[in-house]
Amino acid sequence: MDIEKVFHMKGGLGDTSYSKNSSLQKRAADKVKHITIETMEEMFLATRPKSLGIADLGCSSGPNTLSNIKQLVDAVENASRSIAQPPPEFRVYLNDLPTNDFNTIFQALPDLYRELKKGKNHGGPPIYIAGYPGTFYGRLFPDDCLHFIYSSNSLHWLSRVPPGVSNINKKSIYISERSPAQVSQAYLKQFQEDFSLFLKSRSQELVGGGRMVLILLGRSGPSHVDRGNSFFWEILYQSLATLGEIEEEKLDSYDVHFYAPSKEELEDEVRKEGSFKVEKVEMFEMEKDAGNYPSYGMAVAKTVRSIQESMIAHHFGEAILDKVFDIYGRLVDQELAKDDIKSITTLLVLTKLL
Amino acid sequence: MGIADLGCSSGPNTLMVLSKIINTIHATCYEMGTPLPELRVSLNDLPGNDFNDIFMSLPGFYDMLGKEKGIGAEGCFISGVAGSFYGRLFPRKSLHFVHSSSSLHWLSQEVLRHQFPSSGHKGRNTSEQRKDIHIKDKPIFSSESISLSISERYFLISEIAGGGDGGGWADGAVVHGRSSPEGSAEMGSHQWELLAQALMSMALEGLVQEERIDSFNAPYYAPSAEEVRNVIEEEGSTIINHLESFEIGWDEGFSIDNSACVRHDCDELEKLSRGQRVAKSYKAVIESMVESHFGKGIMDELFFRYGELIDDYFNKTRAKHINLVISVTKI
Repeated sequence: MDIEKVFHMKGGLGDTSYSKNSSLQKRAADKVKHITIETMEEMFLATRPKSLGIADLGCSSGPNTLSNIKQLVDAVENASRSIAQPPPEFRVYLNDLPTNDFNTIFQALPDLYRELKKGKNHGGPPIYIAGYPGTFYGRLFPDDCLHFIYSSNSLHWLSRVPPGVSNINKKSIYISERSPAQVSQAYLKQFQEDFSLFLKSRSQELVGGGRMVLILLGRSGPSHVDRGNSFFWEILYQSLATLGEIEEEKLDSYDVHFYAPSKEELEDEVRKEGSFKVEKVEMFEMEKDAGNYPSYGMAVAKTVRSIQESMIAHHFGEAILDKVFDIYGRLVDQELAKDDIKSITTLLVLTKLL
Repeated sequence: MGIADLGCSSGPNTLMVLSKIINTIHATCYEMGTPLPELRVSLNDLPGNDFNDIFMSLPGFYDMLGKEKGIGAEGCFISGVAGSFYGRLFPRKSLHFVHSSSSLHWLSQEVLRHQFPSSGHKGRNTSEQRKDIHIKDKPIFSSESISLSISERYFLISEIAGGGDGGGWADGAVVHGRSSPEGSAEMGSHQWELLAQALMSMALEGLVQEERIDSFNAPYYAPSAEEVRNVIEEEGSTIINHLESFEIGWDEGFSIDNSACVRHDCDELEKLSRGQRVAKSYKAVIESMVESHFGKGIMDELFFRYGELIDDYFNKTRAKHINLVISVTKI
């Protein structure tokens, strides 16, 4: 099954869409916004390009996409003002898989352009935004066209379920205490292949001195089996198993194309690839705030549904979705009542060496 | 090499056009013995266009480029750019070739609102209760106002042209045109005349309000070759290589074999008359704007009547569009 043809965040603006259920992701990105902005400003002051290329890899579809652009453009305009120079022309490259709902982003563009022009001399600097569909595990953009790459909540998605895992990882959909040892080895190997290809591809697209700000889910220790991100997958497995409507074989053969790397695993690949310097690696945990949802469990359920729906529907059919995520939300709340679940997010800031 | 298709729309034509452009470049490089340049393709249309449809076909398209032309992942980068081509779309000096087919006869709404206030413009022959829903007769509107609207449009297009590399920048466009400078309605935009008649027939039965017809102005203009030449020469940054008009039948190329339809749809298509098939193809293009003015409810009936009027027209004459093909190079 080709991930590129199936996997996508739930499009549109409906109740179960990613647009309406990505507030947890937004909070994570907001928590490190000051670092993102600082990095952008530093990069601009160091490189001073007349035409600035910014890419968002795994831009998805929803309010976060466009608010990111605005923040980055504002940061550069401030920086250029501080050195009394006119701001550069902006080239914005929005990337996601071909199955992503780009139409919803594009339809929101006229409003974004209006907002970006408001109150500025001559409508502010020229900003050209384009959608680039394709996998970021491989080349997406021409050589040396980017100065800043941003990727938030995308790099924990692998290019595929590691080969062979569906056959041996029964009774789990990710690495769990029931998984044979080869499962976590296979997942690590896939992550290493994918992330090194990601770094190699970006290295040719970024100019020397360019920066990358990467935000992705991670894990704090060497073990995968903890009450961290892997636990949320365990709960999803339990929800599917509890349903009683699914054939055992179907459930046994379902695995997610996800990996939560440790700090060491990330740094190892960067070191091996060799064209980037690690400026910063930070791991943090998000507060469990239910926000506009009735409970934190519901918040997670709706969030996970909008990101997993395409894969679950493809494997199990659409009919079970409402029930599964109903159970899921309740299980998360039950587990939290027993003991904490720590979802770790990693921030990685890299500079392309000259 | 920067390539742009303005008004790329969606569906099979989009990538077919791109494929032809790439084939030509590939063949030329082969003849010259030079390597293929890196191709940076921008597909442009308005934000409401169905880009998702195009994007989902891209993996297959890249595969084809790799297998048939040996163009690898680093040889061709295709992106979608949403926005109006009446204004800047691309960074300075980023384009070498711009293509636009069946798009430039669509005006920007702003021009229309400025020129034609909503009191509407009724047909000259008010005794016949004819309604005009598009600009066709110069005597009604001053020639200055029409040329202003064209020149604004082409001037804005040339701003995009101005962003290209100096020298060797080319533009190819295909637009609906008119055969004579005096704005003969017959050959050029008669399809709007028939749509107006369909609307009037519904107004007579109380299905549509006449005021709605009065206030509807299609943002469309079919220029004559002269008008196009004048604007291009006046704007001054490009020279004309080629400016030609050709006729095409209203349902030319419409055989069931040519249609990109699947079995069930082909069966449905075969049952329709010529006029109904043409009405169906026009509906795909103009429904969104007609619907937003007249409401969803009357669309099926309107286009059915339209199809009948077109059949009637086919019985009287060889219904032809005039297409203009224009090729210019940036100086």
